[in-house]
Amino acid sequence: MSPYLAGWRLGLLRTLRSPGDLSVRIGFFAVILLVMSALWGTAIDANGGQLEGYTRSSLLWYVFAAQTAVLGVRPRSVEEIGDEIGGGAIAIQMLRPVSVVGLRMAIDLGEACARMAVAFVAGAALTWLFAGPPPSLSALAMAVPAIALGASANIASSHAFGGVAFWLLDAKSTWFLYQKLVFIPGGMLIPLDLLPRPLEVVCAVLPFATMAYVPGKIASGDANPLLLLWQVGWLAALLALAAGVFAAGERRLQVMGG
Amino acid sequence: MAAIDVRDLRKTFPSRRGAPVEAVGGISFAVEAGERLAYIGPNGAGKSTSIKMLTGILYPSSGEATVLGIVPWKRRRELAARIGTLFGQRSQLWYQLTPRQTYSLLARIYRISDQEERRRVDELGELLDARGLFDQPVRSMSLGQRMRCELVASMLHAPEVLFLDEPTIGLDLVAKARFRDLIVRINQERGTTILLTSHDVSDIEQVARRVIVINHGRLIYDDRVSVMRRALLGTKVLDVRFAHPPGDVQVDGARLVKLTGAGAKLEVDTGARPIRSVLDDLLDRYQVVDISVADPPLEEIVSHIYARPL
Repeated sequence: MSPYLAGWRLGLLRTLRSPGDLSVRIGFFAVILLVMSALWGTAIDANGGQLEGYTRSSLLWYVFAAQTAVLGVRPRSVEEIGDEIGGGAIAIQMLRPVSVVGLRMAIDLGEACARMAVAFVAGAALTWLFAGPPPSLSALAMAVPAIALGASANIASSHAFGGVAFWLLDAKSTWFLYQKLVFIPGGMLIPLDLLPRPLEVVCAVLPFATMAYVPGKIASGDANPLLLLWQVGWLAALLALAAGVFAAGERRLQVMGG
Repeated sequence: MAAIDVRDLRKTFPSRRGAPVEAVGGISFAVEAGERLAYIGPNGAGKSTSIKMLTGILYPSSGEATVLGIVPWKRRRELAARIGTLFGQRSQLWYQLTPRQTYSLLARIYRISDQEERRRVDELGELLDARGLFDQPVRSMSLGQRMRCELVASMLHAPEVLFLDEPTIGLDLVAKARFRDLIVRINQERGTTILLTSHDVSDIEQVARRVIVINHGRLIYDDRVSVMRRALLGTKVLDVRFAHPPGDVQVDGARLVKLTGAGAKLEVDTGARPIRSVLDDLLDRYQVVDISVADPPLEEIVSHIYARPL
């Protein structure tokens, strides 16, 4: 087994062994689905049953998939990476004959897979309950790899953003910015199609859209395989960016004292 | 070829306020394979910075170094497969998991087969008396237990050189003594080169055969521990608590350093009178409630080094 696969497995195990944490997250996820169901239901009813092509049902399946993809990644991931770099804990990880960022991302992905698997099952059941069956079962099936790709892109991007701590010794402000980027341009809060056209176009070309918008769009019934291809392209770019940031950062690490 | 070879190694950190900070200011030394070296100095002397350069984590500002023939900061990952590290203030075990699960990941990282991993974990568990700990979560362990498991993690890939940075920090006296014994056993049974940093004088006496002292980033002493013991560790410090304030404390061979009510601090020149004889005298003449014997602090040894005639 490769060290990265072993890291992925460790992340998975670590999450499954913390059922309390997992339960709280899933409980919160259920609350979000409930609130969104009420909110979007009212908005769509007020708009004659449709909003930019989304029905109440398709919009709730969008929310389900977008939230599942984002839920997989630890919410303060960027800040934690920054703390590990700024505080020097990253040094221990550098004393292994493997890629620091590669192993970190593998562990994070393992954790994300555990969370997303539980969230997918629980969320799909709740969404079915609130909104009825998905617009398309094949689209829902295609949302599974889209959610995994979205979370992977989010993890890679978190490492690229958190890696600025090699220069700034902190990533708190970066985390604040990153969180907002996933929320709005990422399509976590509102589908990009509902934004004003110029903003929609800008957001759609940014990588953040692959993290929430694409999984949501697919789950809402748009089973376009090109969306998956788009995710793969951005994932490759973000992985390269994270690897580049860490490679450059590790060379200039400044850790004083024990 | 020396296991560690350091020549005029320097590290200066940039400072946001004022002049850059020189943490290591041009040190040179060599360590032979199988040696047990104590690399000591007061807080802020540059010990940890030196170790970080020798393990490849930090790039030096200037100078040269090789560890096992490898320049650490140029080929860090290659070197990482051949050295072990243990930082007393940083854990390499995952708190939510058992040590065995962490060892399993480390075994994959170091490309050790499942069968070999089991053999090594069993063998190290036996050597370090830690087998009973491997299946309990790290978060439920005492510091002493955790450090033994940390040492197994550091030794799993059979490193040729082991860097120990303040490994006994925070341990109680019994755990410290046990840990020191384990390090010596690893060196004797496996021939592992040991480089230990500490500011606990007892670590040096009980683990190392050679000692290097650095202060303000500069090497100020390099000799055998036995020589250092004779030259610089000729005193012991007694902390005594009496049943009643004694007024004055007079014992042959002991100098009263401080007297506060019922407590006193005395310095004993063990070259002039054995510590046991001083203790017997003290217990005979005064009503002693509690007593502890300690080595002089490292800062005092450093000032003795500076005070030596050149």
